[in-house]
Amino acid sequence: MIEKVKFFFRVTGNNLWQFRTRNLFSVTIICLSFLTVGIFVSLTNNLRDATRDLASNMSIAFYLDAKLPAGAVEAVRQEIARPAFVESVKLVSADEALERFRLNFPELADVVAGLKANPFPPALEVRVNAKASASKEVVAFVEGMKKRPGVTDVLFNQDWVEKMQGFSRLAGAIGAFLGGILILTSFFIISNVVKLNVFARRNEIEILRLVGGTNLFIRIPFWLEGITLGLLGSLLSLGLLFIVIQLFPVYLGASLGALQELLRFRYPDLTQAVALLVGGAATGFIGSATSVSKFLKV
Amino acid sequence: MIELFHIWKQYQKPYWALSDVTLQINDGDFYFITGPSGSGKTTLLKTIFREILPTEGQILINGINILKVRDSRIYTLRRTMGLVFQDFRLMFHRTVFDNVAVPLQVIGVGRKEIRRRVFATLQKVNLHQKMWELPGRLSYGEQQRVAIARAVVNNPEIILADEPTGNLDPELAFEIITLFKEISKQGATVIIGSHDRELIRHFGDNILFLQKGKIVGKEAHR
Repeated sequence: MIEKVKFFFRVTGNNLWQFRTRNLFSVTIICLSFLTVGIFVSLTNNLRDATRDLASNMSIAFYLDAKLPAGAVEAVRQEIARPAFVESVKLVSADEALERFRLNFPELADVVAGLKANPFPPALEVRVNAKASASKEVVAFVEGMKKRPGVTDVLFNQDWVEKMQGFSRLAGAIGAFLGGILILTSFFIISNVVKLNVFARRNEIEILRLVGGTNLFIRIPFWLEGITLGLLGSLLSLGLLFIVIQLFPVYLGASLGALQELLRFRYPDLTQAVALLVGGAATGFIGSATSVSKFLKV
Repeated sequence: MIELFHIWKQYQKPYWALSDVTLQINDGDFYFITGPSGSGKTTLLKTIFREILPTEGQILINGINILKVRDSRIYTLRRTMGLVFQDFRLMFHRTVFDNVAVPLQVIGVGRKEIRRRVFATLQKVNLHQKMWELPGRLSYGEQQRVAIARAVVNNPEIILADEPTGNLDPELAFEIITLFKEISKQGATVIIGSHDRELIRHFGDNILFLQKGKIVGKEAHR
């Protein structure tokens, strides 16, 4: 058994070397196809994460009556902190609000200095978890709190949050659709390149068949070759992807201006990298398996 | 023993490539099948090899009806036969050694034994010094000898050769048939399809004449 396995690997190695020019071509096609898929995955990752970050950073500000006693403020804080979707509640006093304004708008320092009284009300800043940020539950809660005595106003940009979430979903759907088409196209290109490779060696298959080779005996080296070419191509594409991710900001990043944030590459995670490798091996295998079968009629 | 009973083969109506061919070839026979182009020589050899199925009739090889062998088991039949073709059918990207070793590799012979047997076979056809050459660098005669070495390396009971000298000059053709004759003397049944009258007259122990798919004559000179 070990002798047979060694034999098949030896034959595969010999074939890969003997048809090195053709195999190099196959590996290059596989590599470029998977690099395209990889770049797309990387950009989609960034877009998805960016929109998710923006949506999850949304906060709700509950402005309180300036004359509300400390005990009542605490009661409102406890009430706001109660729902499960609330991640954190922070009390921003009137003085802190003024200080923030001073820091954020230093050019208006003269206006601030001329104020006779602090115009800013104290507020409770609430952060809700990303999944619930524009849900009906949150909207209902905000509407309820607006009517509560002691709460003078609420700042909650529901439209913005909904738009960001919609954009995030759209980006995911477009990503899945285009990614699917890209993967399917790559699969057909790769599979046809491997098929051409096998077709060029139909004479060898015919000879093996005529000297009494079993179908499995004929198939195994071709399967192994397909898997090896697929793996090599996808591995190379991963390496190139990492180089692209490293070099892109250096050469093009700054020139993109505002688009830089959206067009920033993110490294594929481990699952995506493994999926790319497995995809390469599977494409090579399927490409060679389907084409060898055509020449194996008795 | 090879026995053919009332073999009929039709590729396309109304022409019959083989018409009622009944034939018995004994073990160790040296047999020539001859006739003009299109007389059915290749069809007859392919039928014995079970590359094609006859439209009607039965073929027994050592008592086994080869038409009843399942497609998935056909390789067992082919391992008992050696084939030589007019166009050699060599793997030109593999060395002479690799080409000759293939029938042994498919039956799982070990590496050392393969080396020993391939070398011995190449010695027989006087090509042992070109063992590591690629077939493309050999002459036509040498390429045909590689094909013959591949056909005999696993000591098959039957050797079928379809126009093995078709591409060779008369001198080389003579040399190749002499080689087949020697192999036959060692016990293998050799069946050669050829229309080279000179060779047939010189070597033919048993001659079968075909015309339009029918047996029109038989000669036995042994």
